[in-house]
Amino acid sequence: MAKAKRSVGLIFFPAFDWCITPDHPEREERLLYTRDQIMEEGLLDIAGIYEYRPYVAEDKPIQRVHICVPSVARRVSEPHRIAVGGSMLAADLVLDNKVDCAFALLRPPGHHANRVVHGARGFCTVNNEAIMVEHMRRRLGPSIRVAIVDTDAHHADGTQDIFYNDPGILHISLHQDGRTLYPGTGFVTERGGPAAYGNTINVPLPPGTGDEGILYVMENLVMPILEEWKPDYIINAAGQDNHYSDPLTNMNFSAGGYARLTEMLRPDIVVLEGGYSIEGALPYVNVGIILALAGLDCSSLREPDWKPDCLRQPQHVMPIVKNVVSEVRRQWETRHQVKREDVFGRGTNYVRDRSIFYDTDQIVEKQHERIKLCNDCSGWREIYSQAAGGRIGHTQVAIVTVPWLACRNCRREAVEAYERLQTLGRFDQVFYQDCERDEYLCAPDHHEPGAL
Amino acid sequence: MRVIGIDVGGTNTDAALISDEGIVLAMVKTPTDHDDILCSVRTALEEIIASHKGPFPMELHLSTTLPTNAIVEGEGDPAAVVAIPGPGMNLLDYDFGFPVYSVKGYVDHRGRVASDIDPDEVLSAARQAWNDGARALAIVGKFSQRNNSLELAAKQVVEQAGLKFSQITLGHQLSGRHGFPRRIMTAYLNARVAGIQQEFAAVIERLMSENPIIAGVRILKADGGTMGLAESCVRPIETILSGPAASLTASLALSRRTEANTVVVDIGGTTTDIAVIAGGEPVCQRGGAVIGGFNTLVRALYTVSIGLGGDSEVRIHDSGVVLGPRRVGKAAALGGAEATPTDAAVALGLAELGQRDKAIAALKKKAAGAFASWESLAQAIIEAFVLRLCTAVDEVYRTLENVPVYTVSEILAPPDIRPRAVIGLGAPAGVFIPLAAEQLGLPWEILPYHAGANGIGAAAARPTVSLSVHVDTEQEQMIIPELGLRKQIKQALFDQKQARRAAVEHTLAYAQGLGLEECSEIQIVEEEAFNVVRGFHTVGRIFNIRAQMRPGARRVR
Ligand SMILES: [Zn+2]
Ligand SMILES: [Zn+2]
Repeated sequence: MAKAKRSVGLIFFPAFDWCITPDHPEREERLLYTRDQIMEEGLLDIAGIYEYRPYVAEDKPIQRVHICVPSVARRVSEPHRIAVGGSMLAADLVLDNKVDCAFALLRPPGHHANRVVHGARGFCTVNNEAIMVEHMRRRLGPSIRVAIVDTDAHHADGTQDIFYNDPGILHISLHQDGRTLYPGTGFVTERGGPAAYGNTINVPLPPGTGDEGILYVMENLVMPILEEWKPDYIINAAGQDNHYSDPLTNMNFSAGGYARLTEMLRPDIVVLEGGYSIEGALPYVNVGIILALAGLDCSSLREPDWKPDCLRQPQHVMPIVKNVVSEVRRQWETRHQVKREDVFGRGTNYVRDRSIFYDTDQIVEKQHERIKLCNDCSGWREIYSQAAGGRIGHTQVAIVTVPWLACRNCRREAVEAYERLQTLGRFDQVFYQDCERDEYLCAPDHHEPGAL
Repeated sequence: MRVIGIDVGGTNTDAALISDEGIVLAMVKTPTDHDDILCSVRTALEEIIASHKGPFPMELHLSTTLPTNAIVEGEGDPAAVVAIPGPGMNLLDYDFGFPVYSVKGYVDHRGRVASDIDPDEVLSAARQAWNDGARALAIVGKFSQRNNSLELAAKQVVEQAGLKFSQITLGHQLSGRHGFPRRIMTAYLNARVAGIQQEFAAVIERLMSENPIIAGVRILKADGGTMGLAESCVRPIETILSGPAASLTASLALSRRTEANTVVVDIGGTTTDIAVIAGGEPVCQRGGAVIGGFNTLVRALYTVSIGLGGDSEVRIHDSGVVLGPRRVGKAAALGGAEATPTDAAVALGLAELGQRDKAIAALKKKAAGAFASWESLAQAIIEAFVLRLCTAVDEVYRTLENVPVYTVSEILAPPDIRPRAVIGLGAPAGVFIPLAAEQLGLPWEILPYHAGANGIGAAAARPTVSLSVHVDTEQEQMIIPELGLRKQIKQALFDQKQARRAAVEHTLAYAQGLGLEECSEIQIVEEEAFNVVRGFHTVGRIFNIRAQMRPGARRVR
């Protein structure tokens, strides 16, 4: 009998009866071959690898992260709630010391879901990792430090949006350069909000980057930063679309490379994100991740079509990778020397205006966000969000959020803003999100037609 | 036809004769002779035949423990495995504990040959196995249930080289389920015990010719069903753990309850076994039987054993009475040294057994200083027993209800498996089952004949046959590993209905080929259907279907 060196909790939920549309990359078939491979390798018989059944998440854990317009019930379907519940279970298993590490190998994915949710973008509706992290913080308190390392080929723009001004979270995203791939963001200049400057780290990699390049980034950038920042928990958002066979991206990563990355990172929790080479990559990458988490030998793991050329990066790639790494390292090392007013201005607020496209649901959102520059806390926030298109028609909402460890002033101002915004009559709904008090309000409350 | 059921158990060999109408005509219990199990069978058989008047032909159902014992005791032919693992987990990490020789070649998850075997390498591996002392061989490939061609080719290489292995087991013949390491273990054990089963079959055939009244022989399996004698020589591994299965089959046969969901609780001296009937069928283990530390792919009934029984040790803690898991010996009422749960029942007048005064005396001794009276101790023991039993039953259901599932619909609307009645067997059942059932809020039933029920279970067992059908219309293939079948199909003609029909027809034909005429009802027990989409176009469909003959037991009165 094989024995794991570290125990692994596996929450495997392939959602064999859920798809976005029958021909969509997010379809029933996506994890079919992965299931076959995991079962055939006998991974669930390994002593120390335990499989768990996910539960269905309620509204509250989702509200801790998201403002779902008009309501959680309207935006978040049962499959999403299971993916959320599975991710939260992964965290619980680790927090309760039932296992050394956990892998939420499930779909639908989540890392393109922003704080405000009008619909689905980048195949994602709600953000599994973010909800999981907020769940951990609810259990352990606001002082825990969590690092999220997102290795999906796409920039984790949703996760970045949610934690952009959150000093408790370090968010590192490795991805194919946004100039060449959806969602078109994730540049080295995106470094975090006024209260968490430097905690958002983007590592855009040139198309063609393979094992050599990605492992170089891990060794020379990610690992040293983690060593310095000392997170209590490391989460890997393990998208697998960096694979050389992925149809949606142009990277050159292999299953063996993924296993090596996992061995280096030693994440506490892994959550599956994208990855659409469902036959050529996912079965092998996921087996590799599970073996690596369990501390078992991955050296015989190889794709059937693997040849040494698969791994070879184009010649021009490595110098670019090294450049990015040295630039991001320099930024990291000098992050405390940067004056806040040089980046965020001398005003009392940090303001950003954005247009957000929901490609999956064909919605355009215009967002105006204002974060209070506060010396005593990370600052309360006001968001005006206007969305139109898809099947939602047109909607305009206002949102007030109070951060963890908010100062008294910020909380008072936020509460006053929530009251005032309701009286303006401009907004279809006004939301209030207070993580510390675990209080989530909405006026007027959305009722499903026919409900009481 | 009349049926004789014989179960060779650890202590006793139980035999029962059942009439066409399901009436128990005779029951015989003889001590098992472990050095000569065949002699035990013969003795039981002769006694039954002697008690059986008239020229009625009989079918013999045998639960053999020979392969089981051989596995547990490490006997059988020295065996080895030639494995075709391809890339994946390091084979050494499985730590099989028997010789495994690994060769090149790889079948992928869709059943495509990604790389071929090298005949010279296979031959030298087999030669090495032979030189290292192996006399039986198993050849097992990863994903051979999706494509058996590498296993077949390797077998041909070995046979053509003239290596005289007594048995060559191929992995794909044993199960259509996934699990390469389990397939290796199952095939290895199968190869190891095949010789033993073949020898046994020869003796049984001789026994039949001596007793022409025996019209046929069927062998019990781990799933509570039966298979033919010839089949048992090909897949002897399926006979393992048929004893416990016979006991559950007996309860299915004897129960009068009509509820589809029941919990079967067999209370013995040392342990209590809990089994689950859901939808009228016993629940099977998720992966397969575990025997002697080996995880196999053998379909086996799900039972949970807890260290609680009529002879359990009684310990008194601050928190109250703790029972088991150790057994202290027979009850004080029967001359034992210490008070047991059985003594508590006897002392309180709940059961009649041995000498009540001895039970009371033992309880008095145990109660001293901790309980005000022997009555209060006896009451506490009964309560502790019932509580432990109810907790265990609840845990069994909670475990089953938390078995991972892979669809949204199964999470949102899980099948209802909760019991609607408790069925009790075993000597102490009469005392504890009604109390436990009351606590669980369920009706109950105590089965008659609990003393020799395994013979009845063996007699009441019905044939079981199940096949896995994998259809991949993009590759225009239908695969039924258990039959070694790989068939070209026309994509345009194959939809889900067609796949279903093919599964039913093949299962029926297979059952009829095994001489099972009464196998009318074929049911589909697992079904998956997927669109295969490449580049935004549906290029095919995949169906995974498992069909079986509806299992069950003959009703016995
Ligand atoms: Zn992606
Ligand atoms: Zn403040």
